[in-house]
Amino acid sequence: MNEMTQMNEARSRRSFLKLLPLGVLAGVVASIGGVAFRFLRPRISAVSDAWLDVALLSELKGPHPLARKVLAENVAGWAITTEEHNVFVLPEKNNQVLSAICPHEGCEVAWDQAGNRFSCPCHESYFAADGARISGPATRGLDSLPMRVQDGKLQVQYIAKERAIQA
Amino acid sequence: MTLAHENGIRAWLQATGGIVVVLLLTQFFTGVLLAFYYVPSVDHAYQTVSYIEKVVSSGSWLRAVHHYGSQWLAVLLFLHVVQLFATKAYLERRVQWIASIFLLALIMAAGGTGYSLPWDARAFFSTRVAEGLMTGLPLAGRMARLWLLGGSDISTLTLSRFFALHVLLIPALIVAVVVWRTRVGNIFGYRHAILGGVVFAALAVWCLKHPAPLGPSVGAMTENYLPRPGAQFLWLYESLKYVPGGLGSVAGVILPGIALLILISLPWLRNQKVIGATILGAGAALVLIMTTVSYVGDRRDQHTRKQLLLQAMQEQTVRSEPFKATPLQVTAAATSSQAAGSGPPVLYVKFCVQCHGPHGEGARQGRLSFPPLLGVAAKPRRTVDDIVGLLKDPTAYGVQPPMRSFSDKLTEPQMREIAEWIVKLQK
Repeated sequence: MNEMTQMNEARSRRSFLKLLPLGVLAGVVASIGGVAFRFLRPRISAVSDAWLDVALLSELKGPHPLARKVLAENVAGWAITTEEHNVFVLPEKNNQVLSAICPHEGCEVAWDQAGNRFSCPCHESYFAADGARISGPATRGLDSLPMRVQDGKLQVQYIAKERAIQA
Repeated sequence: MTLAHENGIRAWLQATGGIVVVLLLTQFFTGVLLAFYYVPSVDHAYQTVSYIEKVVSSGSWLRAVHHYGSQWLAVLLFLHVVQLFATKAYLERRVQWIASIFLLALIMAAGGTGYSLPWDARAFFSTRVAEGLMTGLPLAGRMARLWLLGGSDISTLTLSRFFALHVLLIPALIVAVVVWRTRVGNIFGYRHAILGGVVFAALAVWCLKHPAPLGPSVGAMTENYLPRPGAQFLWLYESLKYVPGGLGSVAGVILPGIALLILISLPWLRNQKVIGATILGAGAALVLIMTTVSYVGDRRDQHTRKQLLLQAMQEQTVRSEPFKATPLQVTAAATSSQAAGSGPPVLYVKFCVQCHGPHGEGARQGRLSFPPLLGVAAKPRRTVDDIVGLLKDPTAYGVQPPMRSFSDKLTEPQMREIAEWIVKLQK
């Protein structure tokens, strides 16, 4: 009986010693892995509320939407990037400014002069000249951006793409 | 080889392989993580390392583990080689012996290439020294230098090369050597595991208190900056003081290379015990003595001690300053209009920011100092028209190189847009 117990103890000790290296490796991987989760966690940039120049008021005339570009600063981690975004100004709607981002999947719409509508090149959503939804997989119209007039210039606050899609 | 038949202290002394395995794994994991943020270009390397240190959660600790882990790994791998030598592994376990020597060479190469990556002042000088060591090589020196630098001078291509060697080629070779080694026997018995675990825990705790060094950026380096390498290279730094001219390459590259080759060939040589003991003993003595001489010498010289203390304080100050993101140069189609609100014009960011700073505050690049533009409108001959003229022909306005003419890069309206922004800058 005593011999049996000793044999069992020895076997149990051997099993433990066999598993120990795996345990140590698992410990090392787990401790670095835990830190890795915090280390790799994405950092969300603060939403910029800067007013961006769109165009001089004197340039904004005509019956159709006018395509313009705004340049927005984006703090991406360690770098500040300057990103170019397309917007459309509607002179006939008191210079309302529409984002060019399709609210379906985030592609950029283009103005179709012949069809008098905006069309999305990705999934064929269509929008009227005032940005209202006509047809296609998009469930709402184009987003209108906050705007103001300052020193004879039309300015907007730009809404980031992910916010436009999620809204 | 578990050495399970051995007992007592001797068995524990022979279980150094586990420490090497654990430290190699640690280097691999932390290196992969650091690569998620690091950018290997001279414009961004320092900035991204600062970002890891100051902003990213646990970034400072991970970088410290990678930095100090590489030093501990070199020391413990050397001790592992000594242990293998003492147990005559070069006779009985040749693969294990040769693999360990190869591993030692690869770890030294990884340490050397990794040292340049943060692109701080220390890294810059160490790259210069590596360049000098290559240049001094007999016959192939010129070629070796060009191949190391990737061009005729240290540039962003050099950093890319060091990065590729450090994260791709050398780790691939290390994996190959470890796989080759493990094919001939288990290297991870329970004693190995316990020792490896203890060393990892010690390293983890050490790094909580000791962040990896990050000196001033190359641009912010002052003229009296004293470059001192990390502990793993102090011996080489000190040795080079005693070796004249091109002989440094002999001491720093050729002799260590020959020593490693002899150690690899040890199983097939006569008088193995004497040769091996001489090389390992002389190597250890050289590293220990030179490191001590360097350390003591720096502390004995009052001027050096003061300057190093000042540098340590400056490093501490830089470390505690909040991180500041920097504008990337714009290469997109942007041709006019301002970057954002009242920020700089896009073309200022593209052409001027490197020398005059993102907000016109001026900048330094090495020994060159570029003037601030703040309040420039208050100076004579600095109206919008003057600045446009200056951008066309700097010398006509008394501005000498490195300021250049931008007539070939910018149209007059673009120059005017930049000039109109500059004259609004206030001190």
